[in-house]
Amino acid sequence: MKFKYSAIAFSLIMGLSACGGSGSDDAAPIVPDDSFSFVATEMITNLTDEVIVDGYADLASKGEALFNATQSLINSTAQADLTAAQAAWKAARQPWEQGESHIFGLVDSLSIDPHLDSWPLNTTDLQTQLNSAVGFDADTIKGWNDDVQGFHTMEYLLFGDGVNNNTKAIAELTTREREYLVALAEVFRDYTKQLDDAWQISHNPQDANALPYAELLKQPGTSTNTIYSSQLAVIEELINGMIGIVDEVGNGKIADPFGDSMTTADTSKVESQYSWNSLTDFSNNIIGVRNVYQGEYTGSADKQGLIDFVAAANTALATRIGSEIDDAILKIQAIKGSSDMPFRQAILDVEGRKRVQVAVDALSKLQASLESDMLPLLSDWKAS
Amino acid sequence: MMKITLKLYGLISVMMTATILVGCGGSGEETATETIPEPPVITYPSYTDIIASGGDTTTFDASNSGHGFSTPAPNLTAAELALHLEGDVNFETSFTTAPNSEHPELDGLGPVFNNADCNSCHQRDGRNSTPFLAANETRVKLGSAAGIFLRISKAPDEVCTEGTAQNNYCAPVTVPDFGDQLFHRGVLKARPDWQQNAFVGQADVYLSYQRSEITYADGKTVTLKKPLFDVENPYDAPGETKQSANVTSNLLQDDVLMGWRNGMPVFGLGLLEAIPEADILANVDVNDADGDGVSGRANWVFDAVKARDGVAPPVSLGRFGWKANTPSVRVQSLGALRGDIGVTNPLFPDESIAGTSLHDDYLTRTGFVDTGSDENGEPEADAAFSDSVTFYAETLAVPARRNIGNSNVRQGARLFEQLNCTGCHTPTFTTKTAGDIGGEPMSDSLKGQTIYPFSDMLLHDMGEGLADGRPDFLASGNEWRTRPLWGIGLTQTVNPQAGFLHDGRAATLEEAILWHGGEAKKSQQGFMALTQNERDQVVAFLMSL
Repeated sequence: MKFKYSAIAFSLIMGLSACGGSGSDDAAPIVPDDSFSFVATEMITNLTDEVIVDGYADLASKGEALFNATQSLINSTAQADLTAAQAAWKAARQPWEQGESHIFGLVDSLSIDPHLDSWPLNTTDLQTQLNSAVGFDADTIKGWNDDVQGFHTMEYLLFGDGVNNNTKAIAELTTREREYLVALAEVFRDYTKQLDDAWQISHNPQDANALPYAELLKQPGTSTNTIYSSQLAVIEELINGMIGIVDEVGNGKIADPFGDSMTTADTSKVESQYSWNSLTDFSNNIIGVRNVYQGEYTGSADKQGLIDFVAAANTALATRIGSEIDDAILKIQAIKGSSDMPFRQAILDVEGRKRVQVAVDALSKLQASLESDMLPLLSDWKAS
Repeated sequence: MMKITLKLYGLISVMMTATILVGCGGSGEETATETIPEPPVITYPSYTDIIASGGDTTTFDASNSGHGFSTPAPNLTAAELALHLEGDVNFETSFTTAPNSEHPELDGLGPVFNNADCNSCHQRDGRNSTPFLAANETRVKLGSAAGIFLRISKAPDEVCTEGTAQNNYCAPVTVPDFGDQLFHRGVLKARPDWQQNAFVGQADVYLSYQRSEITYADGKTVTLKKPLFDVENPYDAPGETKQSANVTSNLLQDDVLMGWRNGMPVFGLGLLEAIPEADILANVDVNDADGDGVSGRANWVFDAVKARDGVAPPVSLGRFGWKANTPSVRVQSLGALRGDIGVTNPLFPDESIAGTSLHDDYLTRTGFVDTGSDENGEPEADAAFSDSVTFYAETLAVPARRNIGNSNVRQGARLFEQLNCTGCHTPTFTTKTAGDIGGEPMSDSLKGQTIYPFSDMLLHDMGEGLADGRPDFLASGNEWRTRPLWGIGLTQTVNPQAGFLHDGRAATLEEAILWHGGEAKKSQQGFMALTQNERDQVVAFLMSL
């Protein structure tokens, strides 16, 4: 999941570039002073502690809960236990998807992202292993390829293939599937704990005395900080993180399976297709953007976020971007329509496709604002 | 080297004021006019104030953050940008085991490989993560998180000095039944004993570290770590190790040479390929005629593009890879696609392990479902995929420099020059204005650019400490290509777990400098003789790049 500039933004830049330059008028151009002041320390501290670190702590906690829920399945015949494990999977999915708005640093460098969220999974190898006589202990599975572990492998085992429904009877859950699930959940729990520790205890797994990654964000520009050279660098990281996931949702997660027409739509490319959790995933991605922008979770007390940085330059822009984020979330959620249609069905439905297009348009509009209006503010900012 | 001379106007002002004050005091007797000394002149290298390291391809919007290596050159045309973005998606494409009827475009991983996508070895288009050992471990087994792997070859009978068709142009001698790269990962059924060794490739590879200390004159010590490897459980002799009583594996023979290789940053590569060959060769100084202790040799390597096109001899100047063993971005990219990932492509249509008993057995046992060709007999990755990935690597922007006005950065630039780091890390070149790269017409975006890569693109003996003892075309076991330094200050912003040097052994730039030996020993010693403050200034300069 990597940052990509859209062709839209690039054409805007090209267009602007074409306006300057070759005129023969020697008079010095009048450059409007768009500079603005903003003290960023409180915003960076707040965003780090109360959005990013709290989010990963929540993920670790829900990883533990998911492991516990799968353990309950080992000998269970109660459908409620499977339902609880499915709910625990969805609960863990929430902080993970919201965290994709700041998917930089250790989630990438410790390879936790591919370990947890590789897609698509390898159902052929998965089935081969389920049919084999190998043991499913966590250490062994950590050495296996990423496409037979993580969120989506657990999803497949918990919810079934998702083609006609997202329900599965506990009786359908084989003994081998249960054993595999527990081992997968243990691996998952370990990685989420490792990620949480890296942000809160030490960013270097070999050096317990190294700074937590959170401190590297909060203390940029010091001589020992080889990660962030300035507060500007941190804000640039955060804005680019927002752009990255908006691009990913609009131009990847939704656009790829959506295709150019109903005949080219491809449900096999739908993320979280087994659980029918796709729309929740997508909206959580953009809710994660809102968390970073607002500086707090929805319903929490007002804290500083990137909205305050933007507002220091342009209050109207700050409000507009906030509205565009909200609108994108609502438009994604609206894809389900009045019949609570899952995404994988919506892309094969005439009215559903219209709603998908509306959501894509809202995401494109938001992305253009972030790239063309918000990111350039960095060059106008007078840090103090 | 052109210098910029700056007068210290502040100092002049102070001195003039002092003279006036002196003139006001005293006995009133006329005194002899004092001679105002010439103010000291401090010179800075011309590159001190350069921001746009990649000329017009430089990116400014992401040059402080973890996206600094991942943005397209801003001077691409709309059509080029579209191709670049297509390559961007493909760079992250994770391939799957063949056959994949649902997604045949993802089909073709392995059957043995080092990673399943480009990005895993070039995280965010930078370096891979350095493997770490948990507190209770003495060594770590390489798995899906590792971006490092081993190159392997047999020790040659004699030093190869001139490539010919007969000696395979001095290419490394492959290890029988293995090849020239060790693939520690595999698809589920890669090995005959896959039920006991699921997802294992040609062998298990373990990494550990040997630590040592180096002490400055002021008493400060730095701990260095050197990666060591153990290779065990080869597919041709399961369970065997070098310590086994009777070593039978081809891989574990004493004359098999092995050397670590890390993934490199991917940005700015098209510019490096566009440096005129003559300008690189102008810095060759095999016998150190200028007496600065630094030589510089060119590596001449097999060029698969020339071979494909029937050009004789199929040899070009090596520019890429840790030993300059690769002539172009195209050969590098598609060679890695076939090698590191195991995905055949138009330039390399055969599996990297074709003809080995591992591959023959795999094909027989699995019913010939993964032959390295698709159902039409074409390679696993098509021309469009291959072209876009190559173009992507050619046209990623170079990040702009940071903090160039900082006095420590500026002083560091002076010290960098003073230590003759530029003896190998040549600051600047101008790219050619016409011609091909990788056998294809070059993008206009790369033409005529004044660039600051800080590399002469040549081989240098870096001493025993860094040596892997493994020749690669004309490069000896002690020689390495000068690493371009542009963007190096963003390395750990892009990937906090990244290390420096060919195997990631250096956790900091200071450690990387301290590992410099051989031709670079004099510069390294000069660095060690600096004060702590001056050493920090050198690092500050590097961090600005």
